[in-house]
Amino acid sequence: MAAASASSSSPSPSSPQGVAERRGIPAASFVEDVETYLKQSGLDVNSSLAFLQERLQQYKIVEMKLLAQQRDLQAKIPDIEKCLDIVATLQAKKGSGEALIADFEVSEGIYSRARIEDADSVCLWLGANVMLEYSCEEADALLKKNLENAKASLEVLVADLQFLRDQVTITQVTIARVYNWDVHQRRTKQATKET
Amino acid sequence: MQQGDGSEAQVTWEDQQNINRFGRLNNRFHELEDEIKLAKESNESLEDASNELILSDEDVVRFQIGEVFAHMPREEVEIRLEKMKEDASKDLERLEEEKESVLAQMAELKKILYGKFKDSINLEED
Repeated sequence: MAAASASSSSPSPSSPQGVAERRGIPAASFVEDVETYLKQSGLDVNSSLAFLQERLQQYKIVEMKLLAQQRDLQAKIPDIEKCLDIVATLQAKKGSGEALIADFEVSEGIYSRARIEDADSVCLWLGANVMLEYSCEEADALLKKNLENAKASLEVLVADLQFLRDQVTITQVTIARVYNWDVHQRRTKQATKET
Repeated sequence: MQQGDGSEAQVTWEDQQNINRFGRLNNRFHELEDEIKLAKESNESLEDASNELILSDEDVVRFQIGEVFAHMPREEVEIRLEKMKEDASKDLERLEEEKESVLAQMAELKKILYGKFKDSINLEED
């Protein structure tokens, strides 16, 4: 999917609307003048409002999806940081010749004691029922890379959400303006009828 | 956000961008409130842990790393805890500062938008 540039906050003067889409999310076109917009689209007020409402619904669906992805990433990052902490602790203990004694949960409410001596390697859970053994240094490198990737993905996701929310706001404002224009038209017609 | 009373003020692209910016800031404000709440709880927990440590007289303390409780000498735990408290406190400060900044920007935008649109726009929480 072609990625448009992520400059949705400061559009150039020649294209007042900025980007046309971002990572598959269509931009909402800004309406300069309601009357011109309705004439150009050939739609009457109700069809136009219906179209805009539908667009709003579609945006909401995408927003839900992105928010879920954001929650997942936000949960993943502290987990990776904890793993890094453990690996660092094991590496520190390796030099000292002492064993690391740790209490861990065997089952809910039941703990047991483990004695970890001279940890040369750790096993990392890679997902999909796969666990791989790495040396401490390799594990550290891999976890750091995963952490970087997760943080970068989160940044992109947050930018996507901001773009999306802007499009939702533009659409909501357009709906209000079309509706107001219609009310105004009716009032003027009513006023001319009564004179 | 807007009330339909058919009034005349035209919405320019600049106005739209201001409205968008206000929306983004408002979202960020709510996110910050949640983050600040968590940061405050975290600070309190660390403070409690620190106090417990002072009161206890054990030499070996079980310190949680990840999902396990590692046995650590008391001094090491003290050092770790101090560092965690410092980080947590800096975090909270950073978040509070960002919140102030966001509120200030929102107040500016409210002035501009209410100035142009008066009653046609509503920027308050419902």
